[in-house]
Amino acid sequence: MKNNACFHCGDTLPNKPIETEGHSFCCNGCANVYQLLNQHLLDAFYQYEPMAGSKPRNERPDAYAFLDLEELRSRYITFQNEQRVHLNLSLPSIHCSSCIYLLENLNKINSKVLRVQVHFARKQASIVIDSKMALSELANLLNYIGYPPDFSKNENNSKKHDRTFLFQLGTAGFAFGSIMLWSTPDYFGLGKDNPGFRNFSAYLSLLASIPVLLFSARGYLISAYKAIRSKAINLDVPISIGILALYLQSLLQILNGQGAGYMDSFAGFIFFLLIGKWFQNITYASLSFDRDFTSFFPVAIQRINKANHKDIVPIEALQIDDLIEVRNEEIIPCDSELSSANTYIDYSFVTGESLPVLVNKGDLIYAGGKIQGVASQMIVKATSNRSHLTQLWNETKNKTPKNQLIRYQDRIAQYFLIVLLLLALSSGIFWCVVDKSQMMKVIVALLIVACPCALALSAPFTLGNALRVLGKIGLYLKNVSVVESLTAIDTIVLDKTGTLTDPNSYELKIKSNSLNKDQFAVFVNMARQSTHPLSRALALANEDIDELTLEDFQEIKGQGLSASYQNQHFIMGSAAFVGNEQNAQGNELFLNVDSQTAHIQFESKWRTKAIGAIIEKIGKEHLYILSGDQPKDSDQLIALGFSPERMYFGLNPGQKSDQIKKLQSNGRQVLFIGDGLNDVGALGTAEIGIALSEDMFRFTPSCDAILEAKFFSQLPQMIEIGRYAKRVLQICLAFSLLYNLFGLSIAFTGQLTPLIAAILMPISSITIVILSTVLIQLKFKRLFKS
Amino acid sequence: MLMVSLCIAAFFLGFFFWATKNGQFDDDYGPSVRVLFEDEPNLKDE
Repeated sequence: MKNNACFHCGDTLPNKPIETEGHSFCCNGCANVYQLLNQHLLDAFYQYEPMAGSKPRNERPDAYAFLDLEELRSRYITFQNEQRVHLNLSLPSIHCSSCIYLLENLNKINSKVLRVQVHFARKQASIVIDSKMALSELANLLNYIGYPPDFSKNENNSKKHDRTFLFQLGTAGFAFGSIMLWSTPDYFGLGKDNPGFRNFSAYLSLLASIPVLLFSARGYLISAYKAIRSKAINLDVPISIGILALYLQSLLQILNGQGAGYMDSFAGFIFFLLIGKWFQNITYASLSFDRDFTSFFPVAIQRINKANHKDIVPIEALQIDDLIEVRNEEIIPCDSELSSANTYIDYSFVTGESLPVLVNKGDLIYAGGKIQGVASQMIVKATSNRSHLTQLWNETKNKTPKNQLIRYQDRIAQYFLIVLLLLALSSGIFWCVVDKSQMMKVIVALLIVACPCALALSAPFTLGNALRVLGKIGLYLKNVSVVESLTAIDTIVLDKTGTLTDPNSYELKIKSNSLNKDQFAVFVNMARQSTHPLSRALALANEDIDELTLEDFQEIKGQGLSASYQNQHFIMGSAAFVGNEQNAQGNELFLNVDSQTAHIQFESKWRTKAIGAIIEKIGKEHLYILSGDQPKDSDQLIALGFSPERMYFGLNPGQKSDQIKKLQSNGRQVLFIGDGLNDVGALGTAEIGIALSEDMFRFTPSCDAILEAKFFSQLPQMIEIGRYAKRVLQICLAFSLLYNLFGLSIAFTGQLTPLIAAILMPISSITIVILSTVLIQLKFKRLFKS
Repeated sequence: MLMVSLCIAAFFLGFFFWATKNGQFDDDYGPSVRVLFEDEPNLKDE
């Protein structure tokens, strides 16, 4: 076990860790959870997976008070009677087996929790609690141990999982196996000796195949029918022709008492196709790509009525001119006017910039900002559904549907179908001249063999494999069609703030400093005790400074810190807090002791590693920058290697997406990477919109893919995988066409027997599956395991 | 023989449907670790 990591959460330990019972912890929260678990004999938690804990967030005790409001409470409850209450909660921090262990043993900590069952894939828990237990108590307990419940997505989780697909797959598999078993005598030519038996097994096969045609194959037939009606051709058309030819031919044979036909091939064919579909449809159940930003808003808020009485109301009930109170770290739900003293607001949710902005009394605050500091009161100026943020969202969301890429295999299908029909026609004419009795048989055999089963499997397996491989390295794609778009990308457009800059690390710029070394050391020690981003940055930049024992340490949220050391009073914080007249921004820190001062400015650091890798591998002529900021950093960006004529500054969200459209009209295939809500339009317009995320389960705007920020520098390799997937797809297609040609040449001569069909179909499919998997895996190993 | 094979296969198909309906394939990770928790007291001695 690592010695410099927190025993509970695995984070790097600070200089002065908290020691409890021989273990070190990074913060009080972690130590408290450890003690709680230890007390209730749940410390096996740490043995299943070491350092598996989630760092608990500090929430005020009344953070979940809204849950006790009857109308809100009923939203989350699935069932209740006099003794017990059932509910499903979404707990996004579930991530390992220890989590399951802890949550399912929750009754050892609080006996009012009767039963917990974790659904790992969905990161949900079904919980049964005693009806005496308040929901807020449960939520507080969960939050305390590091599993804050997410109440935003909960309203529709009663929706039943769609299992039709598994039923279709099962039916096809059943029929495939059974029919093959019954046809075995036929394969060896034994059927002719015993016509009664042969007939019986043929009818049995027919019976088993009916549900396959009507139920399992339904999706393909319907899709083909729709395509033909809208005068388009997709791959499902030749598939359906093949399926129907195969089925009708077999049906006729069975009814005429000529054996079982190709029912085994038919069922196997559907079975393999469905497996391919299943393989490509694996999605990331716990990630959400179409999240509406409102799901990140608080569900309820404190309203102050005329009698100065506070009550909790649901957001929807807020009216214009209501006075509301928003507390530290809470998201402001509506555009409103600040009516209490100045405060700082963190707009990272909207812009990606994590340094708080100063807001004065009487200023308008936009929905989506997070209060940093003491609870603030504000007057609602627009209801939640009419806020600036909502308009921004609606404006960009439905603006432009994505250019619909015609699937590669569908384009192939068009040529395929033409060739197939020509072949059928020419062989029909040929056999019409040579031997009329053989004509129909050969044409049907042709249609059967030409059925592009392997062709249909190539895409799902190749793209599905690529999707999986990318998921392993932190790029989560919404579905396989994104892999296809990835192959064509030739231009990368980047957002600046929060994308090219790392919102969690800062560069310190000392503007003025009259402190001596010892005084500065005291300030660093103060900063170590605070969790404010600027304090953390200051502490991190000066890790080598010795520990000092401070007295009277105080933190005033959103304003600053104060402490005493050797009878001197040290204060640090915002300009106003330190008593400085300067009009300061949120990214500045003032230090003051005994009329000695210092002034430090913090600037976000560039993600130099990622930027370097991207510029080197992709080339600056394919890189564009779209930023909402003023061009103050353009020199730095040029120094990093971006070309000045491909940078645009001061763009609003609409202009960002217009800029991308301009590129697209020049024939560019654009990949956009952004992180904030102001990028929603651009994310939607680009061929692929990737949302960069520091924390997978935090807010991500709606997008095609989510990229973990720590893997950002591997983006070029990820695109490479996408391009390679296309080459693999082509190889697979070539193989499947070879099989088809081979089958066709046999069919053309009129020699196709059920045995050959039965062998050819699975072999071709299996080759494709193996080929695509092996090629993609090898490429992945070459690129990432070196 | 044929009927026997049909019956067996149909039985398995029915069983598969039943299992699917009951959520057997919904969560493919949780149960695999849940069984390990039974040995809790032994783990403490390690």
